[in-house]
Amino acid sequence: MRGLMSITESFRIALSAIMANKARGALTTLGIIIGIVAVITTMTAFNGMQNAFRQGFSSVGSDVIYVSRMPWIIMNDFFLYRNRPNLEMAEAEKLEANLQGKAIVNPSMDTQRDVKYESKRIDGIRIVGTTEKQTVVSTAVPDIGRFLMAFDVSYKKKVAVIGKEVSDGLFDTINPINKEIWIGRNKFRVVGVMEKQGGSTFGGPNFDRQIYIPISSYVKAFGGRRSTDVDIAIKAPSIESMEALEYQVIGEMRKVRKLRPSEDDNFSINKLDTLMGGFNSVMGVVLGLGLLVTSVALFVGGIGVMNVMFVSVTERTREIGIRKAIGAKRHSILLQFLFESAIICLLGGLIGILIASLLTAVINAVLMPASISVPILIVAVVVSVVVGVFAGLVPAWKGARLDPIEALRYE
Amino acid sequence: MNDLTAAKNKSLILSDVVKTYVMGTEKVHALRGVSINITRNEYVAIMGPSGSGKSTLMNVIGCLDVPTSGEYFLAGEPVAMMSESQLAETRNRMIGFVFQTFNLIPRADVFHNVEMPLIYGGMSRPERRARTEHAIERVGLTDRMHHKPNELSGGQRQRVAIARALVYEPSLILADEPTGNLDSKTGDEIMAMFDELHAAGQTIVVVTHEDYIAEHALRTIRLKDGLIEQDERHDKRRTQFTLPGAEPSEAHSAAGLESA
Repeated sequence: MRGLMSITESFRIALSAIMANKARGALTTLGIIIGIVAVITTMTAFNGMQNAFRQGFSSVGSDVIYVSRMPWIIMNDFFLYRNRPNLEMAEAEKLEANLQGKAIVNPSMDTQRDVKYESKRIDGIRIVGTTEKQTVVSTAVPDIGRFLMAFDVSYKKKVAVIGKEVSDGLFDTINPINKEIWIGRNKFRVVGVMEKQGGSTFGGPNFDRQIYIPISSYVKAFGGRRSTDVDIAIKAPSIESMEALEYQVIGEMRKVRKLRPSEDDNFSINKLDTLMGGFNSVMGVVLGLGLLVTSVALFVGGIGVMNVMFVSVTERTREIGIRKAIGAKRHSILLQFLFESAIICLLGGLIGILIASLLTAVINAVLMPASISVPILIVAVVVSVVVGVFAGLVPAWKGARLDPIEALRYE
Repeated sequence: MNDLTAAKNKSLILSDVVKTYVMGTEKVHALRGVSINITRNEYVAIMGPSGSGKSTLMNVIGCLDVPTSGEYFLAGEPVAMMSESQLAETRNRMIGFVFQTFNLIPRADVFHNVEMPLIYGGMSRPERRARTEHAIERVGLTDRMHHKPNELSGGQRQRVAIARALVYEPSLILADEPTGNLDSKTGDEIMAMFDELHAAGQTIVVVTHEDYIAEHALRTIRLKDGLIEQDERHDKRRTQFTLPGAEPSEAHSAAGLESA
């Protein structure tokens, strides 16, 4: 009970001390505000980049395994993969047969071509040869018209499903359905337009700037079986079965490739996780550096608070003497000053959060999909209080230890 | 057993108190062996020139400092053995300080200043309120309850300090030159208030170097060079500043008897 009393009293004293010195409190708080804003903004910026990255690959389903010649993320070991054989269509077909009933397999190939409709022309569009199963392994769906169908593939139909940007660029306000476009030197009929997928901030393919055509027509129009490299997307029946499926796919691929047990895989397994992992390992370093730099700002803010607390203790030496004379114990005085610095820093933290929220809203509006998460808020509040307590500790201890006789004599 | 009972009866017992300070390489003997018994409801003035050990004695009596050697019992409690935290508690419960410079907290209003000892004593809010209001009423400042110290006159500030000293009903009110910062008329009013408190049964020790202040007390202890030079009781009050109704009480006669 006694302890509780002196806690509420200490809190009250601390508040009134801050209120009595508003200008100084505000200036001191500024250091903490800047520190907290810097820390939060760094974290939300990282979070935003992560979101942008994830969004850029949103059509890569998280329950899909890709078998490709190269890994998606190549750091500096390109020479390891350079001599690998291309993935052939025939190999994809064998793999599909072997995984029949266990997973959905969709082969695809891609290249770049210029596309034309009447006088309008767009350069460097990604042309993807795929099957009707594309909509199963990726999340994209057509906005108008239809997607490729099984008969398009089996009859080598010259039909195309175009991305939103392609549609806007070639057709503007005209309805593109059933219009004939030139892809390279081949004519294709537009049967559908994909819905908008959003930009690619971090080097991923821009899905709005691509065209899907049947893989059979692709082979016929853009290259022989031998020269083209196939990507095989395999959708797991569930996220939980991903790992098992991955081992199965590796096994089946090794069988298809007739690899001896002593030989390494000469193909790569890619997943969204691999991509995120690569992103995180690179950006994690950036985040770490960013936090290091911004926490210096917070540290400097903390030093400012400590400085002001020393002044505050010295200024109130006599008051400490009076309080001790009428019965305040060390811990009451200690708490009084700790509360004062903690409140200053907490205030700074809260204002910092407010400013950081505004900044985040701006970033979200103009740069990337950023948001402040609850854990970041909790971290910010906890960090500001901890900074306050640490900044106040030495000054408060100095005040608490004062000899009442000396303190009362202080002018 | 008898000793203990006697100790409890006495408000304050100092026996052979020595206080030595070390200043650099030199030892300063502030008190060289002081023994004083003060019983309940006594009104004592401690006098002496500067350097006599007057301030040191006040600090020891006020539990702000512990003696280097010797014993000090306050209401039966051995102060010389106390830890810092116990000293704080003892000051809180048993001693009410009145200082020359008032020593009020400038940011706090009258009510909060007077309430403060009760807060550190851990009393509940409603009880604090009742006691604080009562103490403020006793010094006649009810209408100034929510004024800050800088809105009050010197005399009023000292009355606030007295209310703060009274509020926990301490065993002892210890006043250090309580009129030193006041004009003589206001000083007289303050001393009249002490007389009144004494009449109501309060034990009071006033440290002063002014004879006319000491004359309010019923016993004067004179210090010189860290020793008691003179300890005399006045049979009768020699002052004309007594308020009506503040006649020497029974307790006072008892104290007088005991000293004989």
